[in-house]
Amino acid sequence: MASSQAFEHELTELLPRLRRFAHALSRNAADADDLTQAAVERALRSREQWEPGTRLDSWLYRIMRNLWIDTVRARGRKEKHEAPEEEALGVGEDPREAIEMSLELKRAMAAMERLPDEQREVVALILIEGFGYREASEMLDLPIGTVSSRLVRGRTALLAMLSGTADG
Amino acid sequence: MVEDEKFFAWLDGELSPEDAAQVEAEVAADPELSRKAEMHRAMSAGLRSAFGTVAASPMPERISAPVRASEAKVVDLAAVRDERLARRSLPLWGQAAALAATLAVGVFTGNMLPGGPASPVRSEGGRLVAGGDLEDALYAQLASATADQGPRIGMTYRDKAGAICRTFQDDGSSGLACREGGNWRIRGLFQGAEGQASDYRMAAGADPRLMDIVDETIDGEPFDALEERAVLTRHWR
Repeated sequence: MASSQAFEHELTELLPRLRRFAHALSRNAADADDLTQAAVERALRSREQWEPGTRLDSWLYRIMRNLWIDTVRARGRKEKHEAPEEEALGVGEDPREAIEMSLELKRAMAAMERLPDEQREVVALILIEGFGYREASEMLDLPIGTVSSRLVRGRTALLAMLSGTADG
Repeated sequence: MVEDEKFFAWLDGELSPEDAAQVEAEVAADPELSRKAEMHRAMSAGLRSAFGTVAASPMPERISAPVRASEAKVVDLAAVRDERLARRSLPLWGQAAALAATLAVGVFTGNMLPGGPASPVRSEGGRLVAGGDLEDALYAQLASATADQGPRIGMTYRDKAGAICRTFQDDGSSGLACREGGNWRIRGLFQGAEGQASDYRMAAGADPRLMDIVDETIDGEPFDALEERAVLTRHWR
């Protein structure tokens, strides 16, 4: 019983980091909070699948990343049939408890959003969340060389966007 | 000239001490590489600082509440399990009779009597369906909503017949309603022990009798937040 509650306790401690990762992956704050909420609910339902003694944070990041991929794929299918204006206008902004975004954060999220998905997740895990290359490669089930080359491309593109040498 | 991957691995502290020393020397000797290192360090620091504001901001209720609810549920789990086991040992007719009895008690005590337009339960064509605030909540409220008063939604799922079902709690009672012909038909309604079910942190569905009905009727898993919202926009089809 005590270990069960320890699970919730540790999960609570990790929520700010999970939510930060969600913001690095998502296109706006409301989507990020939807993703965080979905990941938390999935984690609570699948808690039996977590092996005590292994890292809870890696397990949670993995859950979130898989949910995010599902969302991205579903959206890809949906937007083949719909006009993309909504996104361009930033409609769909949903104020429910979403964070007040600083200009700095808005710029950072907009730049991250323009990276290819497979580069964005690597940049988010390593540069923002502070995981090592090996940890990231294990979470993503990718060879470490792939992680490393995606990271090079992602951060190079980001620097171009954020330093204003490209349009943006 | 250091290749990109090695350069960045050095910048990220991923190289062995020997390799790191070698790259470090090359970078120090090359103003262009030094500048590149500086710019990337600054960018990474900027990213961490920008996204750091997320981690530092207050956690929305809809994210933290399910964790708290789960924590509260864990405490009760053993008791719930015991009670369920005890009931499973009843003969089948006994279970049915027990269920009928709790249903009747739930419906016809307290303020849950079928009545005027504001009544949470009304009869339509001989069937008990949700009315008033309860009907509104079942139709429009996401499980994540944090209503201060009035009905709260617990979980949403699809039953084996393909209908959408939702558990709810209101004023000490908890129950289950499923979408049927434009109404929310009441499939179960239970009066909790005084004060118990109205505890905010008590997860809906924690009433063991309600959990039994959910277990028997659910097809697969309860919906997560994204699925719940999707099915709301499809008007619970």
